[in-house]
Amino acid sequence: MKPSRLTLAQSDARLGLALVAPVLICLLLLVLYPFVFAVYISFTDRTVGAQVVKFIGFDNFRYIFGQHSFQQSVRNTFILVFFLQAFKLVLGLGIASLLNQAIRGRTFFRGLVLLPWAMPAFVAYLLWKFLYDPTQGGAFNMILGELFGTQLDFLSSKELAMPSVIVASFWRGFPFWVISFLAAMQGISVELYEAAAMDGATAWHRFRHITIPGIQHVVLVITLLSTIWTTNSFENVWLLTQGGPSDATMTFPVLAYFGMQTLRIGEASAVSVAMLPIFTMLAFFAVKLLQKED
Amino acid sequence: MVTRLTTPQKVLAYSLLILLALFILFPIYFMGITSLKTVRDIYRVPSLLPINPTLQNYEQLIGTWKFLDAIKNSVIVAGLTTIISVFISSLAAYSLVRLKYRFRTWSARLILFSYLTPSSLLFIPLAVIIAQLGLANTHLGLIFVYLTFAAPLSTWLLMGFFRSIPFDLDEQAMVDGATRLGALFRIVLPLSAPGLISCAVFTFTGAWNELLLGLIFITSPELRTVPVQTNYLITGDTVRMGLVMAAAVVSAVPVMVLYFFAQRFVVQGLGAGSVKA
Repeated sequence: MKPSRLTLAQSDARLGLALVAPVLICLLLLVLYPFVFAVYISFTDRTVGAQVVKFIGFDNFRYIFGQHSFQQSVRNTFILVFFLQAFKLVLGLGIASLLNQAIRGRTFFRGLVLLPWAMPAFVAYLLWKFLYDPTQGGAFNMILGELFGTQLDFLSSKELAMPSVIVASFWRGFPFWVISFLAAMQGISVELYEAAAMDGATAWHRFRHITIPGIQHVVLVITLLSTIWTTNSFENVWLLTQGGPSDATMTFPVLAYFGMQTLRIGEASAVSVAMLPIFTMLAFFAVKLLQKED
Repeated sequence: MVTRLTTPQKVLAYSLLILLALFILFPIYFMGITSLKTVRDIYRVPSLLPINPTLQNYEQLIGTWKFLDAIKNSVIVAGLTTIISVFISSLAAYSLVRLKYRFRTWSARLILFSYLTPSSLLFIPLAVIIAQLGLANTHLGLIFVYLTFAAPLSTWLLMGFFRSIPFDLDEQAMVDGATRLGALFRIVLPLSAPGLISCAVFTFTGAWNELLLGLIFITSPELRTVPVQTNYLITGDTVRMGLVMAAAVVSAVPVMVLYFFAQRFVVQGLGAGSVKA
């Protein structure tokens, strides 16, 4: 190497850019550019293989907003996310508190809780599809048949399809919450609890005034991150119901995927892009929280 | 560990735990026994017990459905994604934590933003871009798109680990004549081994499990990964429960084994990485 005239700071700056470049190029090309591109094509009449692409303003949005499937998908996505997150939050806190008690077999039960999360999502949902199978072969209907002589259409009846999707998604998703909450709870000093117990605080008071304040940051971060992922989850609905019966469980990622199969990608992008304001808001809060953590 | 529980509280706690264990284990048990049954037995002799267990489904999976090829494809894609991602993420994380330059804050922000951008928003334009690059229906194209979720997560995690390593150690090495890169490879990376392992585990499992992008980018049957091949088992005309459950067992076992063995490193590593700071 020939002697260089660069100062240490300058050579550091060059090295810094060179080292960050591979990741940065990947992300500029495969995240930022597609992100902008998605917004752009949602304003065009682009189809796969089209020679001429025309800019058509808000036509795609006007069209999809008028579609029953789209209205259903917005409503369903909201219902799915709201109930799923509420269950994961409340039961997650409950299970984490339970596993935080001085009981025998704690380590065993903690390992157990991880199981559904260690399973690939697509496997978990296929498994639940067959637990829900409408025939005697499905586990739940086998049990219902034995006990009550009746059977239920878990995934193909309009009333039961969404609750069934929610339960299956809960099974796969709750371990992440429990483990995160548990880790945060173990960071709280035992002395605080002992002091409170001496002062005669009830279990609820201890939970309300020691546990909750001690873990609230983690709870917020997990809730936000999980809400972003849950809003955009594709596998659960796709593998269980493909959005059916008659759009009863249609969510917007599944609708966008269907849209892409029709090859009218301008329209299909509009479905994703229409959700952008909500996503941006969630991401904004998440970034604030994550950067505060540093 | 909080306070000692009274006897009634203990009874309640254990009852709840047993319910929880049933909720978690019953579906997994059902998957296992169904994969060992013939189609006839599943529907004609419904039972929660393994009756006439047979490996017929597994044989069909490997024979007719060429599942070993799918596993090979998944190992190639997930393996290469992991190696590339951990390597470039280490460089980026080191740069963002240790060096000062103009676009540093913006680079860190772009990485965090990418980590939060869901693939359901990107898959349509990505399909167009990958096709324009001539990478449609190739494993390389799939590896590229998997980097979009793998690299931001790994970089973000590794930044935490690198921060916990005292700067003095780098400087000491450089006083002793090492270059910046020498300090990275000989001091920082070996000390961050648990972090590298946890990034590798997260990346490998993420790529092994991914369905949506695989479904869009891979069109040739012989290039399908495990989730994609399994998806075609249920979208055919007749859905054979035993066969699908066998596929589920085969897809889940490698990841669950990996988690089992790596759990210690991951938990230890994450603990060390966040506490030492």
